[in-house]
Amino acid sequence: MTAEKLLRKIFFVEILKGMSLTLRTMFTPAVTRRYPKVKRPVKSGFRGLHALAKNAEGKMKCVGCGLCGAYCPSKCIYIYTSEGEDHTKVVDRYEIEVLRCIYCGFCVEACPFGAITLSEHYEYSDYSRAPFYMTKEKLLSNWDKYFAGPKGERYFRDFWQPHAENFAGREGQATFDTVMLKRKDKE
Amino acid sequence: MSVLEMIVTPGSVDFVMNIGIIFLKIAVVIAAALLHVAYATYWERKVIGHMQVRLGPIEVGPHGLLQPIADGVKLFFKEDIIPANADKPLFYLAPVIFFIAALSSLSVVPFFNDFVIANINIGLLFLFAMSSLGAYGIVLAGWSSNSKYAFLGGLRSASQVISYEIAMGLSLVGVMIMAGSLNLSDIVRAQQQYWFAIPQFLGFCIFVVAAFAETNRLPFDLPEAESELVAGYFTEYSGFRFALFFLGEYTGMIMMSSIATVCFLGGWTVPKFFMDLLPFLSGLPSFVWVAVFLVKVYAFMFLFYWVRATLPRYRYDQLMSIGWKVLIPLALLNIIITASVKVVIRGLV
Repeated sequence: MTAEKLLRKIFFVEILKGMSLTLRTMFTPAVTRRYPKVKRPVKSGFRGLHALAKNAEGKMKCVGCGLCGAYCPSKCIYIYTSEGEDHTKVVDRYEIEVLRCIYCGFCVEACPFGAITLSEHYEYSDYSRAPFYMTKEKLLSNWDKYFAGPKGERYFRDFWQPHAENFAGREGQATFDTVMLKRKDKE
Repeated sequence: MSVLEMIVTPGSVDFVMNIGIIFLKIAVVIAAALLHVAYATYWERKVIGHMQVRLGPIEVGPHGLLQPIADGVKLFFKEDIIPANADKPLFYLAPVIFFIAALSSLSVVPFFNDFVIANINIGLLFLFAMSSLGAYGIVLAGWSSNSKYAFLGGLRSASQVISYEIAMGLSLVGVMIMAGSLNLSDIVRAQQQYWFAIPQFLGFCIFVVAAFAETNRLPFDLPEAESELVAGYFTEYSGFRFALFFLGEYTGMIMMSSIATVCFLGGWTVPKFFMDLLPFLSGLPSFVWVAVFLVKVYAFMFLFYWVRATLPRYRYDQLMSIGWKVLIPLALLNIIITASVKVVIRGLV
């Protein structure tokens, strides 16, 4: 052991260095986010609680084709249909067992009509299992709650609207044109 | 002469009055100490939180100030679980021994001039005795729980406390030599010129390290090493029995800080040059000086928290080798130096 090492050991140089670091850290602002009071903004395209979309007349877009239920990896979507007047298909029940959902978003991708959507809402904890069983009425009211107003409309347009309804890409979306233009700019 | 007159003599009235005053003092000291213990936990969580870039308790009351009270209430209503194979009498007794040992050390600490519950001549020895008695609580808790984690924690604590007791006792011998007394009030009065931490610097350093080990605090918290022993000796305790261990531990920390304050940092006094600078201070009533005492105690407590937030745990063999191979020889050296300097100054040779 050299003299320097011995002196360092006797005077706790390393320990004092560490302690000065912790003391300095004590006077830096904390990084804690006080969650229920300060909410974290969700990332764009966040997949939260489900909602059934309504069209401009306020009617359910869902036609009961059952593709979402067929695609669903956890098989938590139940659809019951019957034959109505003029041989039209009527959706009697549309139910999602939210506790089994894995929020993959496949149902949204499968739907040809943009009828099922995932909202930005994620605070729906409860004390029993019953509130997590979403019926058609609940899912439709979710639409009114979480997709109302310009913010909800934009969110729906940017993330959940099928291209069959609206071919225009969302703002800033990477398309073939923009990518090629950027490459040309670089050249 | 009636029986009443025989009982109520001036002497007996004084006796009853004295007992009453002592009980009042005890009540005041215990109430104040337990309040300080509660807020020591709050302060620790705050300090460590901020050192780890967190906020610490903040939701209950303004800045989380009611958190210790909420915790205490919660502990009262917790289920009291006793393991089926526990040695029940010892299991009940262990936390009581631990807590009483910690609390009774408070009786000899002078908080300000002439305020001490028991002004005994062997105050320092009494403190050593009580801190070793606390180790019995730990060992019995470990033994009676009938759990391997608690048992290992108890064994570790016993050997650690015994090893570091020696170093701590020896580090305070220098103070005894300088003050010429074991009475804590006399030790404080001997420091009115300068604090013993200056001439007894070596002794102070040894005492600090030994105090960390005595109170089972990081970096020497092997008896309750969470990552290996769950919670150490009080693994099987819950509810209010756990609270007794918890309170005892923090009382022990406050006690160690008080011993450091009394023996090395001048107790309730401020250094003489400071008094000369502000002469009006000497006119203040004596109970005001408890503030000085508390500031010193809290500064020392802050050191406990600060070290806990900084250092990792020692390995067990390192702990033992520091105790026996470093601290005890250094403490003996300190005694020899102090004694020879005193002999030369007094001209006893």
